[in-house]
Amino acid sequence: MSDVSPSGAARPHGRGRYGRVSQAVTELDERLGVARGARTFLDKIFPDHWSFMLGEIVLYSFVVLLATGVFLSLYYVPSSTVVTYHGSYLPLDGMPMSQAYASTVDLSFAVRAGLLMRQMHHWAADIFIGSMVVHMARVFFTGAFRKPRELNWTIGVTLLTLAIVNGFLGYSLPDDLVSGTGIRIAYSILLSVPLVGTYLAFWVFGGNFPGTVVLERFFILHVLVVPLVMLGLVGAHLALLVRQKHTQFPGEGRTEENVVGTPMFPVFMAKTTGFLLVVTGVIALLGGFAQINPIWQFGPYEASRISYAVQPDWYMAFLDGALRIFPSWSFHSFGHTIPLEVTIPAVVLPGLLFGLAYAWPALERRVTHDDAIHHLLDRPSARPRRTAAGVAVLALLAMLFVASSTDVIANFFHLSLNTVLWAMRVLVLISPFVAYPIAYAIAREMHALHGAGKRKTPNVVTRSAEGTYEATPAPAFVDDVAEELAPAPVPTFIEEEGPAVAPRPSRGTRAVDR
Amino acid sequence: MGRVRASWRVAGAVGLLAVAPLALAARAGAGPRPIYQTTRHDAGTPNSDVVVRHHGVVTSYGDSAITYSAPPATLKALGYALYLENCATCHGTQANGVPVAGTTGAYPNLVGLGPATIDFWIESGRMPATDPRSVEAPRRPPRLTHHQALAIAAWINSLDPSYPGIPTVHLRGGNVATGMALFALNCAACHTIEGDGDALARSTFAPSLRHIPATQVAEAIRTGPGNMPRFTGNLSDYQVRDIVKYVTTEIQHPRNPGGFGLGGLGPVGEGFVALLVGVAGLALIAFWVGERQ
Ligand code: HEC
Ligand code: HEC
Repeated sequence: MSDVSPSGAARPHGRGRYGRVSQAVTELDERLGVARGARTFLDKIFPDHWSFMLGEIVLYSFVVLLATGVFLSLYYVPSSTVVTYHGSYLPLDGMPMSQAYASTVDLSFAVRAGLLMRQMHHWAADIFIGSMVVHMARVFFTGAFRKPRELNWTIGVTLLTLAIVNGFLGYSLPDDLVSGTGIRIAYSILLSVPLVGTYLAFWVFGGNFPGTVVLERFFILHVLVVPLVMLGLVGAHLALLVRQKHTQFPGEGRTEENVVGTPMFPVFMAKTTGFLLVVTGVIALLGGFAQINPIWQFGPYEASRISYAVQPDWYMAFLDGALRIFPSWSFHSFGHTIPLEVTIPAVVLPGLLFGLAYAWPALERRVTHDDAIHHLLDRPSARPRRTAAGVAVLALLAMLFVASSTDVIANFFHLSLNTVLWAMRVLVLISPFVAYPIAYAIAREMHALHGAGKRKTPNVVTRSAEGTYEATPAPAFVDDVAEELAPAPVPTFIEEEGPAVAPRPSRGTRAVDR
Repeated sequence: MGRVRASWRVAGAVGLLAVAPLALAARAGAGPRPIYQTTRHDAGTPNSDVVVRHHGVVTSYGDSAITYSAPPATLKALGYALYLENCATCHGTQANGVPVAGTTGAYPNLVGLGPATIDFWIESGRMPATDPRSVEAPRRPPRLTHHQALAIAAWINSLDPSYPGIPTVHLRGGNVATGMALFALNCAACHTIEGDGDALARSTFAPSLRHIPATQVAEAIRTGPGNMPRFTGNLSDYQVRDIVKYVTTEIQHPRNPGGFGLGGLGPVGEGFVALLVGVAGLALIAFWVGERQ
């Protein structure tokens, strides 16, 4: 807070050290009292470890998604009304198709930069969810979800669920042959929910498949409802992050009571803006050079048509894999049929997996009886059971993911499709049980090994004239000079005339009390 | 195709299992009569009203999109010689599927199959087969020339003239848009919408259509090789021409306005790129700029 109180004190003359900026900021503070909030914000400390930037990839691909999505929504027409295409793509000329498909083809070929925007949007979605999973894995394996951050973990799992749902909705919008098949599968999955399935499916689709309203509904969910909820949750996720402050890896000068890192302004802000541009750049390069989802090659969806070898986007693949390998069991009784072959892999399995993710912090506490507040992270090797459990679930997911390409594998290696199917059934079932002990053993070994995973400093061995040897540790690397690791305290007031505290260390590392 | 050969043994082993019942059936029906007749291509004519025959052989289904021609009868003698040399061990000296003495196995009767079938199996390199037990003889570089294939087809056709003749597709007036719609309706269920082919049940495969010449595409549609259905009555010559045009243009030379085509693997390839280039690449950049302790 500045010394100038809003309550009537005369404004000091002159413009201060930062000229007009100072003046403008002072004026604003006098009216809104923003200085205190801004101070906390600008002095928020971010740990420097690279793994903390994984979440930034998620955030920035979300930004790209929103920006490109707004562009797409200006041209896309969410309607299953049949029109005759007479656009610039000749191989479809004169064909009947839904307005949704026609507008997506036009958006790709007739709108300037339309194809680039579409491809960027799709790549951004794939990267968004991918980096979300990686970020989540980081949080999981380092125990960052422990008290007091369980709520933020829950928000994160919800965001992942919503992202997958919205990815599927978006994938469905072009109404091409492949995505139409995806909607058809979703319809069957809804139908397979015991007892209420038929009502549920009719409620969502406004009647039987394919109906005429599903694209409109998916559209409004995809562009408004789900993103709005996600935006709110992202806001809450970040607000909690500021409120609770970051976790950090244990290390010199880092305790449960402080956070060591770079302040928001100026260092982190520069770094993260650069990273925003990098993420955008990578997505733009992919969007410009790597073709994704060439819907014009698939043609419009018609319920009578089907293509072999259709796969969903990668984040839905584990569901597809489960559906593929599950044996054809079903249950008939009391005039009802429950298609277990769909219900179990497509309803029960994801329910269990996400339920486990939600419940994990509570489950772990129940086992460890650890009720303490944690700000220092675990090294994954220090918690072999948690690490092994995480690896087991990831192995299961990875195998389900592979199972979604049984046909591609069979075709590529010229094997019998049935053999591949059976092999995948076995692999999926055994993968968690094989992965757990291996991960456990590795974690135990790494933990027991002193200094594993740490950078070693060389010893310099000298021989004296008498012939005795002496080993002295070499000087530290230029990078890790001791001074850098000793953080300077964060000032608690605005100093217009320059910092009153000791000069900041080279990389601007600071520490703040919690 | 290289990868076909790589795993040929596995397919062969499974093929052996599948052919075993056939071989047993062959034992049971021993005698001079044909062992099995797969398809006799003289049933049904396409939608057109007019069937034009020349010396009993259909030269056209009545429209001008495709001309079917019988191989010149003058090549008969040469054909017989080539046949005895390359095919008789398995298919028998009379082409009736009774192999010459000492050869075991079950082989289709070739009499009455029509020149297009014979031509397709030779020119796609499937025949003469190397593995007598093959269920799905793979496509290979052809071992006989076009002229020799015509000659063999001429001799077999002389035993019982039948059709379809060898098609010439007049691609000029073809319409890729209808071709695409028909392809999606009739072919994509096995060959995939991008024409890359895929593994079907057991050890059968719908091959990739990326490098098949127009004539063979038309032959395959009209004769239905192996496990592929034969399309006669439900597709007119105009429609076949549109499909052939679509296959030989858009499928074989896809325009990829969006950049690299990523091998046509669809979301599998895209997922790998998104995870390995996108996510892993960005994580590496984070690793590079962040602190590593
Ligand atoms: C090594 C034994 C062998 C030789 C030699 C051989 N074939 Fe075959 N042929 C087979 C077998 C086995 C099949 C069944 C293959 C399949 O279904 O994939 C077959 C199938 C065919 C068919 C398909 C029949 C149908 O019903 O569609 C034709 C046509 C044919 N052969 C022609 C020839 C000609 C012409 C030659 C000589 C150039 C030849 N074959 C040489 C074993 C042989
Ligand atoms: C039921 C599945 C199925 C359908 C439908 C189908 N095919 Fe096929 N097709 C196959 C199989 C299986 C083969 C391989 C036959 C063999 O090698 O014995 C094949 C082979 C072919 C070949 C020869 C490829 C080569 O490697 O020489 C062409 C060309 C072809 N199909 C085109 C088409 C076209 C065009 C359509 C649509 C009109 C179509 N197919 C519909 C299953 C199918």
